[in-house]
Amino acid sequence: MNGDAAQLRKAQNPTRRVFSEEMLAYGTEDPHFIVMEADIGYSTFSYLFGDAFPQRYFNVGIAELGMFATAAGIASTGRTVVCGSYGVFITMRAIEAIRSFICYPNLPVKILSSHGGITAAIDGVTHQATEDIANMATIPNMTVLAPCDSASAAAAFRLAMQTPGPVFTRLMRDPLYEVHSGAASFAVGGSVCVRSGADVTILSYGDIVIQAIRAAEQLAGERIEAEVIDLYSIKPLDRRAVIDSVRKTGACVVAENHQRRNGLGYEVASILLQEAPVPFAALGLDDTFAESGAYDLLLDKYGLSADHIAENARRVVHHKNR
Amino acid sequence: MSRERDAVLRRVTTTAREIRLRVLDMVYTVQSGHIGGSFSEAEILAALYNHILNIRPDDPKWDKRDRFVLSKGHACPALYAALALRGYYDASHLNTLRRFGSILQGHPVIKTPGIDMTSGSLGMGFPIAVGMAIESHLIGKSNFAVYTLLGDGEINEGLVWEAAQTANKYRLGNIVAIVDRNYVQNDGFSDEIMPIEPIDKKFEAFGWRVWKIDGHNVEEVIDALEAARDYGDGPACIVAYTVKGKGVSFMENDRYWHGKAPNREQYEQAKAELEGAAP
Ligand SMILES: Cc1ncc(C[n+]2csc(CCOP(=O)(O)OP(=O)(O)O)c2C)c(N)n1
Repeated sequence: MNGDAAQLRKAQNPTRRVFSEEMLAYGTEDPHFIVMEADIGYSTFSYLFGDAFPQRYFNVGIAELGMFATAAGIASTGRTVVCGSYGVFITMRAIEAIRSFICYPNLPVKILSSHGGITAAIDGVTHQATEDIANMATIPNMTVLAPCDSASAAAAFRLAMQTPGPVFTRLMRDPLYEVHSGAASFAVGGSVCVRSGADVTILSYGDIVIQAIRAAEQLAGERIEAEVIDLYSIKPLDRRAVIDSVRKTGACVVAENHQRRNGLGYEVASILLQEAPVPFAALGLDDTFAESGAYDLLLDKYGLSADHIAENARRVVHHKNR
Repeated sequence: MSRERDAVLRRVTTTAREIRLRVLDMVYTVQSGHIGGSFSEAEILAALYNHILNIRPDDPKWDKRDRFVLSKGHACPALYAALALRGYYDASHLNTLRRFGSILQGHPVIKTPGIDMTSGSLGMGFPIAVGMAIESHLIGKSNFAVYTLLGDGEINEGLVWEAAQTANKYRLGNIVAIVDRNYVQNDGFSDEIMPIEPIDKKFEAFGWRVWKIDGHNVEEVIDALEAARDYGDGPACIVAYTVKGKGVSFMENDRYWHGKAPNREQYEQAKAELEGAAP
């Protein structure tokens, strides 16, 4: 689809809520899994499941590290556990439990991680998960998903449940845009081309996909046709889609709400250096902490708005044509 | 009671009232921030900043100053108000809370005048305070005192108890930990989310001397802070029994007001109630 970004509807609910609503629905389909929470159930919306299935809901208080180690114990018996909290606390405080006792034994723990990137904008740095993808994707056996809208967030829950072993899903605090049409289908290791074009490939995930689409529209006005791909499955990554698109366009921009270092941009760069070296730019936090402030202002300051993406796309296209 | 004492009580009482009014204004203006836990700690912060702490607001980085760490960092609106009222920065900053470019970040950061340490990730502020106390007591021997304020939900974190052990091992006579026992955390009543009692006996078992007080009774707050400061033989803990949302009838004891901002009507009603409270 080469849709018009202005036509894309703002989602009614944030992806954290959509994911939890899907979990609630799945609760009746699968009576076996349980859910754990660390006192932010009203923020992750895991309370929806807790209200419906109180016997299968364990709120362990403000104790993220302990929660994941406890989840490992439950999951060691073969039972699937969904654990919810905020991205920073999950991927930093609890990382050793996740790495050594969930990923290493390859246990079925499905992680609901809210407030990814700088979407916890006004809360400031202690609540902004800007290294979460790097931390999680680096651990063997971990699957990492980052949906960008309601359809992909609901699908992410189901994919997590259907995929063996640990799965991390990065969700967002604020409502995003309904990027995907009803026809889109999702798979672990899949991707969705949300706009096709021959001049430059823009790769993204989560909340930045809408910025990429807006950038592509700006560029279309200048006769630069950008291809925009939603790489919601960060690990495993749809290498084929990336390589095929970049071989076609000959230029690539990656934009993500995350540190540049060790994010999707670094991953794609290492693939392209081997398979299809082209003019390339990776956008993200440039080895810096962010700050408190309105989300849009932060996106602009840290170089993740549509304008910044378009500017970098122009640059790589220019470089390619030289 | 001496006239001097009387003046202290009055100053702390008025400041606590003023802190609540400022917090209400801030959170209403920016439509974001944590009211419930700010209201429960108002008397404690007022007493610390207007009587207990050995500080120089015109020299915020003075190296011999007493340190304060708001371990329950989300309740920083009250701290920001207390610092402005004490003269660390102009009160006009208050309504920029959480905004782009503000010196008042969503959670405390060390670069704000008067803030001794970054906090906001629960459980971390307490071991940080213990670290400061070790430096002061055993290493640099500058002998400043360290105060830290924790939430009753926050003490769910195992890290809190690791720090409690450390403070006991080194018999830190210069640290005072205050637990804001307001009975409510994010998801509901603390004792339902995670039974944490007996808080006093737990700290005692960890080697701490414990005081239990009504955290809204200014006299008790001051007496306990002075006693804990002067104790000196080891780590001191004050369990302050408080009310989350204290001062506004419809906010009290309700998890909803942990992190929600009032609408206009709620703001007006809350303001009227706070203004009506005897100064
Ligand atoms: C490590 C960590 N986990 C979760 C949170 C999210 N959070 C912010 S406030 C809060 C509840 C705090 O309750 P309590 O300690 O009782 O504070 P108070 O009631 O005094 O506001 C939670 C879970 C956090 N800030 N840090």
